[in-house]
Amino acid sequence: MAAGFVGFEIPWRKDVFSDAPQAGSAEKFGTLGINFRARKAIDEEEWTVAMAALSCEIPSRSVGPPKE
Amino acid sequence: MSDVLREQEPALDVNVLRHAIQEEYDEVASHPHKGFHFHTGRPLACMLEYQDEWLEGIPESCIESFAGTGNPFSLGEISSGERVVDVGCGAGIDSLIAAKKVGPDGRVVGVDMTPSMLKKARRAAGEAELKNVEFREGYAEALPVHDGWADVLISNGVLNLMPDKAAALEEMSRVLKPGGRLQIGDILVQKAVPESAKRKIDLWTG
Repeated sequence: MAAGFVGFEIPWRKDVFSDAPQAGSAEKFGTLGINFRARKAIDEEEWTVAMAALSCEIPSRSVGPPKE
Repeated sequence: MSDVLREQEPALDVNVLRHAIQEEYDEVASHPHKGFHFHTGRPLACMLEYQDEWLEGIPESCIESFAGTGNPFSLGEISSGERVVDVGCGAGIDSLIAAKKVGPDGRVVGVDMTPSMLKKARRAAGEAELKNVEFREGYAEALPVHDGWADVLISNGVLNLMPDKAAALEEMSRVLKPGGRLQIGDILVQKAVPESAKRKIDLWTG
């Protein structure tokens, strides 16, 4: 998600380069054709909610000595 | 490679990259049957699941220079009366399909940086008698379109050619209305591309 877009999704991917007339130098990186969609957030509130859904909490770890 | 050596490598020159991309796509416009490292034309449209009815009435001179990597129209319906921007429109196939979909009450603006592609696109629009589409010269990072103008932004095989993808996405967001849709065909790489490789122009163009 970037630039205020929400609902990012890649519903389709396919090898669209095989058997092309010339070999491509990017082939070794496993290039695939894709379709992706997203939507510009309607307002700041929708963007804020979407960003909050992306964040995750890292559980805090005890740094003290183990209890006996 | 050490960090010291890495820092000594020349950074990617955006103008050199743009020139190389223009040269490549000028060839696709001028000699579409030459044979490239990607598929082109009607066979490519078939591979990407373009429907025959979408291509009805679109001049073959336009279809033959098609070089997309996906199918923006499979991602959601484009409706009558909508405004569409086609970023990196090339010879105009997707712009003309969109123009047919939005009808006389809608508008389509195709943007490309390669003059020979724009020439083909304008001629094709004239031959197809589509008056609701226009083609403008420009870069994806500075689209010649007003803020919040578009309902839908489409692009096909173009974002991967832009060194500053974040800037291009910011610009796409700027021209879309709130709630506007992004429907893009592009490329995904399954293996990480080393930073040193990203500086090689031939990797971007071929």
